[in-house]
Amino acid sequence: MVSDMTMDATLTGHLQELRRGTVVVASLTVLREPGYGYSLLETLSAAGFEVEANTLYPLLRRLEAQGLLTSEWNTDEARPRKFYRTTEQGDAIAAALRGEWARLDRAIGDLDTPAGTESGSDL
Amino acid sequence: MTTLIDRYVFTVLRRVPEQQRSDIERELRTSIDDAVDARVGAGAAHDTAVEQTLTELGDPDRLADGYADRPRYLIGPAVYPAWKRLITMLLSVVLPIVVLLTVVVRALGDATFGEVVGSAVTTILTVGAHMAFWSTLTFALLERGGVTRAGLPRRPWTLDDLPRYEPGFLTPAQLWSMIIWPVLLIAALVLQQFTFTSEPVLDPANWSFWWPYLIAVLIFEALYAVWLSRRGAWSRTVTVVNAALAVLSAGPIVWLAATERFFNPAWLATLSWDGADPLRWLTGIVIVIAVAGALYDIAEVAVRAERSRRGLPTAVPGSEPLV
Repeated sequence: MVSDMTMDATLTGHLQELRRGTVVVASLTVLREPGYGYSLLETLSAAGFEVEANTLYPLLRRLEAQGLLTSEWNTDEARPRKFYRTTEQGDAIAAALRGEWARLDRAIGDLDTPAGTESGSDL
Repeated sequence: MTTLIDRYVFTVLRRVPEQQRSDIERELRTSIDDAVDARVGAGAAHDTAVEQTLTELGDPDRLADGYADRPRYLIGPAVYPAWKRLITMLLSVVLPIVVLLTVVVRALGDATFGEVVGSAVTTILTVGAHMAFWSTLTFALLERGGVTRAGLPRRPWTLDDLPRYEPGFLTPAQLWSMIIWPVLLIAALVLQQFTFTSEPVLDPANWSFWWPYLIAVLIFEALYAVWLSRRGAWSRTVTVVNAALAVLSAGPIVWLAATERFFNPAWLATLSWDGADPLRWLTGIVIVIAVAGALYDIAEVAVRAERSRRGLPTAVPGSEPLV
């Protein structure tokens, strides 16, 4: 008998596995409009992405190093902020990732379709 | 005075590459200030807001690993299989050989029984620790150097790598061990006459017949291995041939030992085992090893041949015994 605690831990693990990578798509999509670290964090959590600051900030620098984001220091305001913006390349990659996401969503939906509508239902 | 935020930021920067530090510091401080302002705007006291923000950011070392893009493990999945194979090989093959050599060298010197056992234990611990440490260190450095699976010398797995699980089939490793063992024994038998010790260990008088005879039997053991792998099947003939070879090699050894003609008296005289009589002990050990080894060998081959004759498959490791 598996306890509820273990099931919760199992679910958490699988959810993490499933969500890994979604932050990249979301960030590249959101940053088509320039944004800085904390603003992106707010936008993402308002949109329902459970992302932590200590994952997001290093991730932004990694995406910049890969050429998917560019950054610029904005010193016009009292508090200088580093603004990130999705590059053309980043946008193309984000589009490809969103396409894959939609395909997976359809595929999962098809698998989940109730019996009788699928040819394999007579098994 | 350093504030809580200073201490946090400095702790992160400590483990971040130097050329990135100033940029990361500016950005991190802004992000922290933004988060603190948001909390203060929501009605929190400033100090509480700072504490909550930093707590949420979590372990600064972890954040630094994120910035530096450092793996949070010693040996990753790419190099792990190669590391595991190397460690297994070192500890299961090389270490026993080193220990055996140490024991032989010590025993042939003037060491007492206790000293031999002591040096064996010390060798196992120190050499084993060295092997594990240096190979792990090497692989950890490879991991950090960014070696990928493709960079490792490794041929791709093919269907031919599957074990056969067929009775009677000798794997190449089994065949080689069956050939190399007699060759090593012949080498040891010849070399002990000239090296290792100032006096030969074994009675030189037996070079007139028994030592050449043993070499001949050992050569037959190696030929038997080749014959067996060519034949590709175990049978009663194999049982008989194997048993005959076992008796032909163990019989004379036991007889020579029992009649005190196995060891060189001049070498025995150089031994000083406090209290114990070397001849009596060594004779006992030789007889026990020769008899037990021969019996095990005969029984093992007989069981295999019988299983094969009845068409019983060999048990697959880890599965229920096949009846």
